[in-house]
Amino acid sequence: MSPNPWIWIAAFLTLGIFSFLFKDNPVYRFSEHLFVGVANGYYIALYWHNTLRPNLVEPLAQGQFIYFVPLLLGLMYFAKFIPKISWLVRIPIGFVIGWGAGISIPANFQARILRQIEGTVVTPSSFANPWQGIWAAVIFIGVVATVIYFYFSREHKGILKPVSRLGIIFIMIGFGASFGYTIMARVSLLIGRFQFLLGPWLGLIK
Amino acid sequence: MKRTLPLAVCLIMGVLMMVQFFVPHPVSLQFNSTILNWVIVLSAFALVLAIGNLMVYHGNRIRRRQPGWIYSIVTLVSMTLMAGIGLVWGVDPDSLFQKIFLHVLTPLGATMFALLAYYMASAAYRSFRARSLEATLLLLAAFVVMIGFMPFGQYLGRWFPAFAEWIMLVPNMASKRGIQFGVAFGAIATALKIILGIERSWLGGKE
Amino acid sequence: MKWFEKLTRIDRRVIYVLLTAFVILPFFIPFKIPENVMPQTRRLFDFIESIPARDKAVIISFDYSPSTQPECHPMAIALLRHCFKKRIPVIGISYEPQGPGLAVDALTLVSREMNIDAASRSDSVIYGQDYVYLGWKSGRVAAMLEMGESIARVYPVDYFQNPIDSLPLMRKVRNYKEIAIAIIVAAATYPDEWVMYPQARYGVKVAAGLTAVMAPEYYPFLQTGQFSGMLSGMKGAAEYEKLILEHGYTDKPGRAETGMNSQSIIHLLIIIFIVIGNVGYFFTRRNKGLQ
Repeated sequence: MSPNPWIWIAAFLTLGIFSFLFKDNPVYRFSEHLFVGVANGYYIALYWHNTLRPNLVEPLAQGQFIYFVPLLLGLMYFAKFIPKISWLVRIPIGFVIGWGAGISIPANFQARILRQIEGTVVTPSSFANPWQGIWAAVIFIGVVATVIYFYFSREHKGILKPVSRLGIIFIMIGFGASFGYTIMARVSLLIGRFQFLLGPWLGLIK
Repeated sequence: MKRTLPLAVCLIMGVLMMVQFFVPHPVSLQFNSTILNWVIVLSAFALVLAIGNLMVYHGNRIRRRQPGWIYSIVTLVSMTLMAGIGLVWGVDPDSLFQKIFLHVLTPLGATMFALLAYYMASAAYRSFRARSLEATLLLLAAFVVMIGFMPFGQYLGRWFPAFAEWIMLVPNMASKRGIQFGVAFGAIATALKIILGIERSWLGGKE
Repeated sequence: MKWFEKLTRIDRRVIYVLLTAFVILPFFIPFKIPENVMPQTRRLFDFIESIPARDKAVIISFDYSPSTQPECHPMAIALLRHCFKKRIPVIGISYEPQGPGLAVDALTLVSREMNIDAASRSDSVIYGQDYVYLGWKSGRVAAMLEMGESIARVYPVDYFQNPIDSLPLMRKVRNYKEIAIAIIVAAATYPDEWVMYPQARYGVKVAAGLTAVMAPEYYPFLQTGQFSGMLSGMKGAAEYEKLILEHGYTDKPGRAETGMNSQSIIHLLIIIFIVIGNVGYFFTRRNKGLQ
């Protein structure tokens, strides 16, 4: 067993959260609220040391007065708590949202549409290896069928019906693969916790 | 004014950033750099809203002595202590701040998500039924991936891991790409609606 | 109650107990099944192998939190071991707020491990020279984009408040031109943003270490070459640990590899649960049909 008090604290909190499997209880509620508090306190220190001080306070202290603009915009966030001027909070939000929307349009086109179309199109060079060529054709059909499945502006009649049915088959296989991976992920998290309890805490495994 | 000004700011920023992407002139690059630095700072202020809301919520719970108000004290005290420790004594590898992160925050966060393994197993047993062709395909694909990617999968046949890999590289990839096209076009449409002021839910409020 | 109805009504506590037992058992009855390495893991390994020593740096973005630590932390540690042993400079950053605590833990662990084994100062891994940790920054996409022009403008100081110009490594590495690859160890959609923004604008190579939940979504990026490699979940971490062990970059087995035994057993257990549930369901339905 570990002599380190920090390990014991970690083990106690781990078991406190696991106790929820039996039922809600004061130890679990305490651990849950402690988590929220410590996480938010962590964020406050992080934001100050990593962004506000080096990227705002120090440039202002060095005479870079252009930084009064983001300071002023940032202070407008506080207006949310003063009902008479709470509308001011919309200005910094609009600034960031407008900026984000503007840069996302060309980025989406380039990385998620054009490059992906490039990867989908079947050319004669795809058949340099026959099997690769066949799978490239299957991928092309799968992508088109999936997109058609999600096209709800027209009723799936005529040619759309079998193609969207093929699309749903591809989608279900994709979701099945995702489900298999999800199980892998969740089980990994549980294994990690038991590695800690059995290893550093109880010393039963290396 | 209360709605027009923010919408105008959003429109101007959106159009400027879209145009800036295509203009490699030094003035455009300098403008871009300045705006990026402002956004880095502004994004940090967004924490104010989150912390403010948290304090108001838990403060009200304590003031009104609502059920579980004792736990709200735990939240506010622990938040204040952690922030104080980090702000005053710093964040070095051997600091108290780092110790609390590793031995309080880490086990709490990790265990919360570890609980999901139990709920997922229970839910999979209770509700995962091969009621239709689609559900059966989903189940079979999941089984192949779960077994094929584990080390023992190769003992069922050398083709098994390769088949699992094929499922990921061909049908899974095709469906995810199709979905990604939808998401990308949707994101572009939403971004345009926001910039042009058609989508205004971010304004909130009535006035 | 008929036998097939009982099959659909197993108490959830039985499931919890069995799950717990079969997670713990392989730790005490270890068995070794050779791990098969997936092509995308090998692609990333080979890419790092191709980077010359003390030339371009590698960015490792520690974008995971304690909730995904068992999957992502072993990946980060294995990558650090590989880079440090090959004398590839490493620049650590984080955009996930809870990433820094775990990044500092990984960097401290691996650098101390290397330095204990070092025969001389030239074998050692020195902070500021061989690796730096710049910390977390808000405005994630803005920071990623601005780093393409000047890393120092985004990070005037590192995580430990050292001025960036005081770090020898950062005097050499100014922006993405001096970066060989950015490896994003993430539990959220940060790799998307790396591909959409820094890669699209500056051409920086990107690879990802992802949680297993996210991995299936990113195969399109792998196929187009937008990702130069990918590690998927605990399995991906175990594969990378195996590769660096085989190539002599470490003599310590990793945590992910020891967890794979439990992983395998639990997968079988869950499949058995699902099959039992379905058998009960089908017989119940058939019985209702006959009635």
